[in-house]
Amino acid sequence: MTKKIKLKISARLLKKRARRGQGNMAKQCRFCLHPDQEQTVDYKNAPLLRGFLTERGKILPSRISGLCCKHQRHLSKEIRKSRTIALLPYIAQYY
Amino acid sequence: METRRYELLMLAVPEITQDEAKELERQVDTVIRAHKGATLSFERWGKFRLAYPVKKNDYGVYFLTRFETANSDASVQETRTLFTIKLHHIIMRSMFTVLDSTQSLEYQRPKSLEELPSRDVDSFLNEGKMEGNMLHSREEEL
Repeated sequence: MTKKIKLKISARLLKKRARRGQGNMAKQCRFCLHPDQEQTVDYKNAPLLRGFLTERGKILPSRISGLCCKHQRHLSKEIRKSRTIALLPYIAQYY
Repeated sequence: METRRYELLMLAVPEITQDEAKELERQVDTVIRAHKGATLSFERWGKFRLAYPVKKNDYGVYFLTRFETANSDASVQETRTLFTIKLHHIIMRSMFTVLDSTQSLEYQRPKSLEELPSRDVDSFLNEGKMEGNMLHSREEEL
């Protein structure tokens, strides 16, 4: 009878599995909860959009920003429009 | 043909004079009126620090226009050609957007350099509101 070889699971993989179980159940899309704020998401409203960018100027993914698919798409489109007219950066430069 | 409402945001060079701004407004209005339209508003946002240099300019002046036309596509095309041919030395970027006729005309925009209060270094330091580890506070502790 051949012995069963148990493969070592790496620590990184174990941590990932533990994290998967937790999850952030309370986070909801803020634009779904407050529909009147949807109108404020506009390419001209650079201060609001800047809150959805990282320090380097990259767009935050929806698992961090907590937005639903529909609003994330709308927001991303407005951010990209804003970038073309230089209201938001493509890459944030460090001074 | 149904009338459509448009919005046009223009980025101009920072050296634009008031006369040139009036000339710009007049020319855009002429184009729109030629296509049986009407200008709803023309606003000068002010001078801004740009997020990245555009045509080697770190600063720029934004103008926002809203207009309604029946002959929509042609008016937009002609305004674009106006910017690229006649006013290319003034207008660096432009953005056309279609607006809903039912939508309100309110919007939020960033604050220009003229609206943001500029601080003097000396007056800021004299206030003494800065937090964090500072040399003089350590001396007081000693």
